[in-house]
Amino acid sequence: MDAIIRSRAAYVCRSCTRSLQRQSRRSYSSAPAQPDIYDVVCVGGGPAGLSLLTALRANPVTSHLRMALVEAQDLAKIRSWKLPPDRFSNRCSSLTPSSALFLDQIGAWSHLERDRVQAYQEMQVWDGVTGARIEFDWTPGSAPAAGTTIAYMNENLNLTSGLLSRLGELGGVSMFDNAKVERISHGEETEEMDLREWPVVHLSGGKQLSARLLVGADGANSPVRSFAGIEARGWDYNRHGVVATVELEGEGWGGDHAKIAYQRFLPTGPVAMLPLPGNYSTLVWSTTPSNASLLKSLSPKDFIAMVNAAFRLGPTDLEYMHTQGSGQAEEYSWRLEHTPFDYRAVPQTVMGVQEGTVASFPLKLRHADTYIAERVALIGDAAHTIHPLAGQGLNQGQGDVQSLAKTIEYAVSHGQDIGVTMSLEPYVSERYAANHLLLGVCDKLHKLYSVGSGPLVPLRSMGLSAVNALGPLKTFFMNQAAGNGTKVF
Amino acid sequence: MQPSLRHLPRALRTARQGPRAAAAAAQASLRQQPAPSRKLSTTSPAASSSVNETEISHFSALASSWWDPHGPSRPLHLMNPLRHDFIQSCLSSPPPSPSTTTTTTTTNPRYLDVGCGGGIFAESAARLATTHSVTAIDPSATILSVARAHARRDPSLTKNKLVYLNETIESLPLPLPDQDEQPGGFDIVSLFEVLEHVDYPSAFLERVGQFVRPGGWLVLSTIARTWTSWVTTNVVAEDILGVVPPGTHDWYKYINAGELREWFERKNDGGGGREGGRVWGVPRVMGVVFVPGLGWKEVRGSEKVGNYFLGVQRVA
Repeated sequence: MDAIIRSRAAYVCRSCTRSLQRQSRRSYSSAPAQPDIYDVVCVGGGPAGLSLLTALRANPVTSHLRMALVEAQDLAKIRSWKLPPDRFSNRCSSLTPSSALFLDQIGAWSHLERDRVQAYQEMQVWDGVTGARIEFDWTPGSAPAAGTTIAYMNENLNLTSGLLSRLGELGGVSMFDNAKVERISHGEETEEMDLREWPVVHLSGGKQLSARLLVGADGANSPVRSFAGIEARGWDYNRHGVVATVELEGEGWGGDHAKIAYQRFLPTGPVAMLPLPGNYSTLVWSTTPSNASLLKSLSPKDFIAMVNAAFRLGPTDLEYMHTQGSGQAEEYSWRLEHTPFDYRAVPQTVMGVQEGTVASFPLKLRHADTYIAERVALIGDAAHTIHPLAGQGLNQGQGDVQSLAKTIEYAVSHGQDIGVTMSLEPYVSERYAANHLLLGVCDKLHKLYSVGSGPLVPLRSMGLSAVNALGPLKTFFMNQAAGNGTKVF
Repeated sequence: MQPSLRHLPRALRTARQGPRAAAAAAQASLRQQPAPSRKLSTTSPAASSSVNETEISHFSALASSWWDPHGPSRPLHLMNPLRHDFIQSCLSSPPPSPSTTTTTTTTNPRYLDVGCGGGIFAESAARLATTHSVTAIDPSATILSVARAHARRDPSLTKNKLVYLNETIESLPLPLPDQDEQPGGFDIVSLFEVLEHVDYPSAFLERVGQFVRPGGWLVLSTIARTWTSWVTTNVVAEDILGVVPPGTHDWYKYINAGELREWFERKNDGGGGREGGRVWGVPRVMGVVFVPGLGWKEVRGSEKVGNYFLGVQRVA
């Protein structure tokens, strides 16, 4: 889900971008046309870009680098982001323990509002067609020493706001927010220097930034990637992810200390209920674009009925209810009486949906041909966009950041120019195959479970049942999800 | 420069004579003045230059591709980080005798890079935050123009940090004592992949050593003259893999780490130090192996087989 959130964010604040452009024109009008020279210019102030700058500033080897951030949104708004304890943003991501550890190492974890972060210790995944089930919980002795947490659910704004707070504490990064990238060109040759291979970022208002290394953290439609001439290949799933913040009847079957994430594979796509603090959960429902627009059009009462149905009723029931313009609530209560299910094996009943949190975004798979070019590196969604079913999008971005920061540190400590491909090669070789594998696995899972009938259906439920029966294999999968297993992904 | 395949019959001849003959010849050249059979005339500016004209023209021809990361100099680019690691290991090694005060290493070293080529090492040394300055010399004006042009691409490489001079070690003026009348010279004098291209290594090293300030380090990398290195550098690297341009190496010029150790030890025998003591410390040696696809890796003991680094501190 996080994948899309970033790229959408770039389009959100049109009006405030406009008003602030006026402001920036004023403040930059006296600036000379001569570009400012930076070691790192990062375009995009989402989780990936902010984490990279924080990691570089927090490391004494790289902290002296001259760095700039370019972001279209108003960073002051994100910095001062605050919601009451009973309201949650609908854009949440799952953070693996290794992502959390990295954020802690760069000093950012403590800047998050920790009482808004929810750890979960168990996953329930099942096939909506056959009912085959896999329960991911730590059998005694199989839990890693680090703890029993599989992942943390966290609002993306809590992360970006925490990162901005940490960056503010570190200081030393030039922030250009409310700034639109008008174009990116190459530098010029002068008497003293030859910057013909250096990217120059032209901001609205006339400011120009020359970059030894230009980092594209600018989302799925990355202008930096286009500038570098790197193709991103993939396909659209013809599915939308419907998100919402919902309130359940209680804090979960396991109570506050044994939170459970649920995911059911329906022929239209997986539907997931991921725990937030207290009685709250975040919904991510991948479905057809027409189903998504129906869900968004429903009254809160009917929307709640559809979400409850998605975890309890059969695919045929659901298909029928998607044809109704309204009245799903009545339909659901009638059909529920005739559907046997184990109520403790599904999320607690949804009682409410928070106003204004129902939204959707298109799902796609994209992978850039490479992550580097001369004086360019791509991270996060600019490099890859993944199906949200494994909740790995943001974590992949954090993996990129960790690797790129390490690559830059090595280059700096060995006197290499951090912008040249020779210095950046280790980043690609470390990340490309790993990301490609995970993109592929999630893609295959999506396709496998999109089939409603036929020979694949009994096979896949056999697969889930077999995994469930085999303790060690299950532990392996859980370690993968938690990011502390063998580094296959 | 002659194409490397011309070495083949020569090598086979050596094989009949046995490798000892070749080794003895090379050792002889290191010990005294060069053996007459290896003498190649030079028309370089300085009469007593160590520089071999064919070597210059060979490397000048490679100038345009020097900075191409996928070009013929790729193995050098890949080796460069190891040079810094090796220098760091030298600088952080314990001093030979605690009583010598002149061996204190500076925190902001001045570098002299001899035979800098396109500037792969010189640029990287100048970029390090701790570096005071880098003086880089090379006899080839063609290659220096490449080095200068490339350095202009990085605004951090100011003239205070990095200076290229078209000089040989013989034409470069010897360092003068500093303001405090302490012996002058550089903290680090580097000779990376140079020694195997020099005709008179003994005279050359003698001269280079005079640019190292007491307490400073002479750091070099080169290739041992072994059967393995003949096969890997001349046949495999140049002819089969093509990762090194043909004609880059003349195996007869290779010098073994043991021969260099002996050479520095002999310099101490004469009591050339200021108080009649040692001039050089005990050399440190690190063998490295190029693994295609992985790059250079340190392999203990491999200095006896192929490429190696050698660092030696000037104690007085």
